[in-house]
Amino acid sequence: MKAELLTYTPLAEVKKVFPDLETDLLLPHLNYTFAIEKVSRACSHQLVRHRVASFSQQSQRYITVKRLSEKIVVPPSIGSNEDFDDLIDSASIAYQKLVESGIPKEDARFILPNATETSLLLTMEGKSLVHFLGLRTCNRAQWEVRALADMILEQLRAVEPIIFNRAGPYCYQLGYCPEGRHTCGKMKEVIERYRVE
Amino acid sequence: MKLSLIANSPDMETMIATSMLTTTSGAMPSTLYDRLKAKPEKVADIVGRVEVQHGNILEHNRLVWRLEATRDEVLEIMLKSKFFNITEAGSDTWVLSCNLRTIAEYHQIHPDEFSRELIESIKEAAPHVYGFIKGDKE
Repeated sequence: MKAELLTYTPLAEVKKVFPDLETDLLLPHLNYTFAIEKVSRACSHQLVRHRVASFSQQSQRYITVKRLSEKIVVPPSIGSNEDFDDLIDSASIAYQKLVESGIPKEDARFILPNATETSLLLTMEGKSLVHFLGLRTCNRAQWEVRALADMILEQLRAVEPIIFNRAGPYCYQLGYCPEGRHTCGKMKEVIERYRVE
Repeated sequence: MKLSLIANSPDMETMIATSMLTTTSGAMPSTLYDRLKAKPEKVADIVGRVEVQHGNILEHNRLVWRLEATRDEVLEIMLKSKFFNITEAGSDTWVLSCNLRTIAEYHQIHPDEFSRELIESIKEAAPHVYGFIKGDKE
């Protein structure tokens, strides 16, 4: 998995013209574009639920999935598992057979699993990104999207610390956990993990 | 109404080309972006083939303006397109921002004075997009 910040609109350029406006009011005017690479389709499904964003994703209508078994994401909880590996091999063989028999890629892909790797461009404005990070760096987020959100946060803090040193899971942003009865119960240690000296 | 471009994402056209190729090639988007940055003639060729209908590839950028306008004028802009972000910054002064798709689509539907000002302001930052948006209507 890789997340690389490719371009962004710098806060300083906007602040030069509007020095008195609060940074929070300027967040919707700032964009951040990331290359997100080699994540699973399960992960990209979670990304596209953040609707105030733009996505350009590798299309399975145009790109043939070759050697599926080498291009999958395996959850650590599964690791090396015969049932999982067998199913991936079967899906790979069936997909190839369908494509070779003339079935369009857009239909053959119906057999591909959620584990299939994908890459995409993701663009979000600052306010939505802070919300995304609030939800997806949370201890309760799924492991893959949380690892991705942590990578994104790290790079944002490097280029725009004024904005993103305050970003992180919602307990870190708000000082309380908004997850209610679903709380992980580890707020203190989570806040400590994201605290910036 | 007066519009001044104050900031924009860098390399907007390189990003458009990267976005186009990301959807149809197996190469990693960061690799495509790095390769395209070194080949402005290829970017020009790819962006020259863009059509406004293929909107999402025009969304990986943002342009920010200082807008001087009355409340009524701003309300009219907001009613015509929900995709502008607008923040009040003082008396008849506003921060306005959007991406290139919003500009292209606004101009298609409302080729008014405001859209002409928007388009003129992107001439340097996105010359090929400027060309096809203008050519599309004139």
